[in-house]
Amino acid sequence: MTTLTIDDFTTETTAQAPDRILPQKAGKALWAPMFAMSLVGFAVGMGLAIARSNMISSGDDVLQIAAYGQYISAAMFFGFAMVFAAISFAIAKILGEFRVGGGSVQEAAHSDVKTLKMPGTAKGFLIGMMMAMMIILTAVVLHIFAGVAIAGGGVDAILAEQWTIWLEAARRFGTVLYLFSIMLGLITIVKVIQFQSFRIRQVAHTE
Amino acid sequence: MAVAIDKLVTPTNSDYKAVTPHPKIAVGLGIVGLMIAMAVAVIALVAANDLESGNSAQLLAIAFGLQTTALVTVKVAIAAALVGILVRLWLRIESVKVALGALQPTEHGVGPTLGDVHTQYGDATVTKNVPATLPIHKMARTMWFPMVAMGPMFVIAGLVTSIVWANNVGTSTGIGASGWTQGLQFLGEGLVLAGISFLLGSILGSLREGGAEVQKALGLNVITLKMPATAKAFVALMAAGLMVSMVQFGLYVYTVIGLNADSFAEIAPWWAWMGPLRELGLALLLAGIVLALATIANVLGFQFSRIRSIAATGE
Repeated sequence: MTTLTIDDFTTETTAQAPDRILPQKAGKALWAPMFAMSLVGFAVGMGLAIARSNMISSGDDVLQIAAYGQYISAAMFFGFAMVFAAISFAIAKILGEFRVGGGSVQEAAHSDVKTLKMPGTAKGFLIGMMMAMMIILTAVVLHIFAGVAIAGGGVDAILAEQWTIWLEAARRFGTVLYLFSIMLGLITIVKVIQFQSFRIRQVAHTE
Repeated sequence: MAVAIDKLVTPTNSDYKAVTPHPKIAVGLGIVGLMIAMAVAVIALVAANDLESGNSAQLLAIAFGLQTTALVTVKVAIAAALVGILVRLWLRIESVKVALGALQPTEHGVGPTLGDVHTQYGDATVTKNVPATLPIHKMARTMWFPMVAMGPMFVIAGLVTSIVWANNVGTSTGIGASGWTQGLQFLGEGLVLAGISFLLGSILGSLREGGAEVQKALGLNVITLKMPATAKAFVALMAAGLMVSMVQFGLYVYTVIGLNADSFAEIAPWWAWMGPLRELGLALLLAGIVLALATIANVLGFQFSRIRSIAATGE
């Protein structure tokens, strides 16, 4: 069985409990607005889908139906981008609670405050989240452009189909990347809990 | 069965220094999922540049099946990371219990009087003993594993039907297989997300139970947060999302069996809104997960304030 010691963790020492770092402050402030925006995206997407279904049933203009297909994808994936952002920010909020709470407990015990330095998984979490967000939101914007172009009749069917496939590929890859970065965020929580289990015993001299 | 599932989320030994395998398993699965997704992106690009040949539709059918497989692989990786958190939480509870026993001043009272109190983290209840486990937490501990295990089975079944779809593009068999692929795979995804939600519910249960155990062990009255509105909304969204995922599966089965699969015109209006509906099911589950994480953050804030108070004042 492999075991660790507290020296296996890279830490920084301060006299007082540290504040949240910038991503954690952003997490605390932004998880709820992102959550609210995701609900708007999903509601708009469903509304457009019902409208498109009626257009198909009543044999409306094919170009308009195709354009609506682009708008639906844009709305739904705007919702997904926002809900994944809300999840990521909520994870950052949890990490902030561990940082501030862990520090304040050490301070209350009249000890130096040791805090885990940002591990590689947390950096991967942030980079992955930003890349995935950019990929999905770019696809959302391009879906809207594609919808407008298709509705205007200036695009042939093959090109419209190609756009759809490219954008779908991009947003789906973005979704997998987002989930992967969320997984890295959760692993960071595992590491933080592990460090705090060591540190609280060290502070109480009960290792 | 319940005992065997419990063993998966409790430490195999009580040594807080031991390295647990969950992070490595999660990263390994996550990388596999990411690689499948990269392969799917390449297949899609090839299909997009080859639209005028008949191969494009075949490639896209396979890509659909593989894409959902990639998504579910990464979601299972997330479930593995959450199991790692649960195991670590139990070891943390033990560490906090031992450490606070040493840090707590010898002269102390028993804490607030019994009854309801208000804290900056929400309403709480003060009891003499550890409160009983909530039914939703019991359910979460029993249900997470079946959900996480069944989800990938449906997705793999959908991957098989996507191959049938790819080999029968443009025929009634192909349309039927396409319906089965979409229905099965999105049900599978919904089940895995429900499993993740149940794991988050289990984490909330462990925080509640562990926090209470620590206070009781230190000879204090037990302060426990009441279920906040975010937790209630989490349960409602999770139930709604799971229901939508099941309904969309039923609707896909109906459209490929109950409607005329030879005439895609009859099915098309249904599938036009069922595509977003199946995504809505996942969206509701994800929205519930956001609220569960926010609840966990709030509970952690409360627990740190209790630990700080016990270390400083003894109660």
